[in-house]
Amino acid sequence: MARRLTLIVLALTLALCAAASPVLAQQPKRGGTLRIAEREAPNLDPHLAVSFLTHSYVNLVYSQLVRFAHGTEQKHGGDFTIVPDLAERWEQKTPTELVFHLRKGVKFHNKPPVNGREVTADDVKWSLDRFMTKSGFRARFDPVQSVDAVDKYTVRITLKEPNAPFLNHLANSSYTAIMPKEAEAQFKDFNRPEAAIGTGPFVLKGYDKGVRAVFERNPDYFVKGLPYLDSVVIEITPDASARASLMRAGKVELIQIYGHASIEEGKAFQKTNPEIDLHLLTVMAQGMIYFRTDQPPFNDVRVRRAISLAIDRKGWNDALLYGEGCLVSGPVPCAMKDWRVDPSKLEPAKAKYLGGYDPAEAKRLLAEAGYPNGFTTPAFHWPGYAPPWRSYYDLVADNLSKIGITVELKPEEYGKYISTTYLGKFEKMAIGPVTPFTEVDDFLFGSYYPEQPNNRSHVADAELNKMLQAQRRELDPKKRKAIVEDIQRYLADKAYYVYLPSSAQYQAHPKYVKGFKHHDGYGLGHKLMFTWMDR
Amino acid sequence: MKQYVLRRVALAVPTLFLVSVIVFGLMRLMPGDVATRMVEGHAYAPTIDALRRDLGLDRPVHTQYLEWVQGIVLRADFGQSYWTRQPILDEFVRRFPVTLELALLTILVSVVIGVAVGIVSAIRQDTVTDYVGRTLAILALSVPYFGLAVLVVVLPSIYFRWTPVYTYVPFTVDPLENLKILTVPALVFGVTRAGPIMRIMRSALLDVLRQDFIRTAWSKGLGERTIVLRHALKNAMIPVITLVGLQMPLYIGGSVIIESIFRLPGVGLFFFEALTRLDYPVVQSVNLIIAALVVGLNLAIDVTYAFLDPRIRYR
Repeated sequence: MARRLTLIVLALTLALCAAASPVLAQQPKRGGTLRIAEREAPNLDPHLAVSFLTHSYVNLVYSQLVRFAHGTEQKHGGDFTIVPDLAERWEQKTPTELVFHLRKGVKFHNKPPVNGREVTADDVKWSLDRFMTKSGFRARFDPVQSVDAVDKYTVRITLKEPNAPFLNHLANSSYTAIMPKEAEAQFKDFNRPEAAIGTGPFVLKGYDKGVRAVFERNPDYFVKGLPYLDSVVIEITPDASARASLMRAGKVELIQIYGHASIEEGKAFQKTNPEIDLHLLTVMAQGMIYFRTDQPPFNDVRVRRAISLAIDRKGWNDALLYGEGCLVSGPVPCAMKDWRVDPSKLEPAKAKYLGGYDPAEAKRLLAEAGYPNGFTTPAFHWPGYAPPWRSYYDLVADNLSKIGITVELKPEEYGKYISTTYLGKFEKMAIGPVTPFTEVDDFLFGSYYPEQPNNRSHVADAELNKMLQAQRRELDPKKRKAIVEDIQRYLADKAYYVYLPSSAQYQAHPKYVKGFKHHDGYGLGHKLMFTWMDR
Repeated sequence: MKQYVLRRVALAVPTLFLVSVIVFGLMRLMPGDVATRMVEGHAYAPTIDALRRDLGLDRPVHTQYLEWVQGIVLRADFGQSYWTRQPILDEFVRRFPVTLELALLTILVSVVIGVAVGIVSAIRQDTVTDYVGRTLAILALSVPYFGLAVLVVVLPSIYFRWTPVYTYVPFTVDPLENLKILTVPALVFGVTRAGPIMRIMRSALLDVLRQDFIRTAWSKGLGERTIVLRHALKNAMIPVITLVGLQMPLYIGGSVIIESIFRLPGVGLFFFEALTRLDYPVVQSVNLIIAALVVGLNLAIDVTYAFLDPRIRYR
């Protein structure tokens, strides 16, 4: 009996080993070059540029105090869990005092004039101070009172008042690269390849302007064993069709830094290039109709609710987004899973004004508000957004015509759109997407608090303001989450913004590219750190 | 002679001044503003104000204009890009050879094709060959070069897993590789520009072939090849050369799209990116440099005329 049991256990073990072998075969391999076709970054100094391209390029080179989870560390693409980077741990000493303990022995890239010296608290203080004086994004650090180097490996950041989103900004690779001051002394700024000296996973080896940038593995990277790739090459390619052709021809592995392809592009790749791996992603995207809620007719909640009820989101998703989109893209985007309350979890009587479809009820509401025959409104927008956006405008006009509202589509030139309509300077109504942020505060406080430039709908709601402020000051993650959920419950039937479906994206790359995981932050270097080539 | 040249040089100054005022004014009249364009969605009021201050956009417009012109006149400093914070002149000088080479190759392709097809069409007037040639010319005229460029890049990538898009290498580093990279863009652009040249070539040659001296040549018993190539062609080439000269700005203008699709780091792409990013100093200075080049070229031609033909000097 015992022998039989032993045999069974042995057989089971063998079977398990056999089943596990494909997993074993998936052990990351070192080596290889990953090529990316992408537009050129306008500048290499992360504090002198506010472009996401600059911040993505230089994220290969620089580290931060803390960063977002990536690769094997992340739960999903919208996971903004904060993990150690140059700081191995940190403590919230008081509600306004954060203390960071640096890793010891981390070395800058071995390039003159820094020549691989150790990173200290002084470098961190110098870099954050430089950010606060030079960066176009310096308003992000308005809550900061001071940054102090307590000793060689300890940095203290003192805030003016408790600020829950601050740590997320500190982890955002767009803001807080840690750089060596000698490089600025020698090169005036960091906007040249020789001056790009950091502690990141890759070293910038060559940069031919307008042609290509070559990054090689940092042999002294402080995370042992990473990165896997020998090198990363960005082949500068301004034109989107040329980028896709380069991948089809096997000359690059990614057609942009996120590795995204639109649904249409993805379907085309499926047909023509079966060797390309395609994963469907819910990405940080938000599309909405926004209004002058401070003026008639949109100051009447019944009118706004009628508009929301007139949008056939399901039909829209099936017809335009291959049924792969997310039906209601706000107030918290679908990809921000850790914060979002799905409309199905809200009280149905209120949630119907967020994502419901009921033209008859919409007409009744319009009549009740004094518009039995509807009305005419302009809809300002920029027609240049990538597909399927152009169809969005027509669909809004079509959906609203069914309840008697005539929409006059008003296309605008990009420069005008982004500096007027996008910032709430328009008449009556507008349609468009918004920037993918990494902090839930930006989608709530930014979109709903009075005087914020992204408060496009001119919302001014005293009760809401209290909650928006409260979530900013609440440092306990659980309690803050509860407030953020309350805000979503409160907003469900207000229809300050009418949220449209958001499109999914494909992640596209050849099958031999492994470990490249989508993340909604700007940390290209962190993504590539976990990427490897199976060939 | 000296006085004539001096007068021509003096005339160039108000021209360039006008160009500078117009370009400067037009950029400011464009809707939108560079600071909001830079921050895109990440706009916070303090961010935008801070950026404007950094870029010097908070000062009066005339101060900005004077500073720009002063920099050019006194220090040959054409300013810095708002986005790249790099000197504009350096970037222009670095990129100009790419655009010039593309333009020269394009002219070569369009002239060779246009002239050859034009000659065949003219001497075989109203035959099948002529109709085929004329149809091709109309086709070349009506196909937009940017559309053709996209097709040439995309179609082979789908059907043959190959695309004529390469990583640029300068001529001085590897001439063969450089020509390989530029051949397809020059062919695409040149073929579409060959249409008008073919049509002008054909009609000019037909005109010349009907003239008395050609009839005399025929009656002397000369062969067709000698008549067409030695006697008629030289005379018929004049309008063709004029056309190529007139089309010169088109070659530079078209380089914007061609450079973008084929990844060529030339002036066209530099200008186009600056325009979409509202990079005022780059658009202003590149425009002014190109205007100065055109004015300089015209000046050189005028002076050459004056040198060759004394009558011009005293007019």
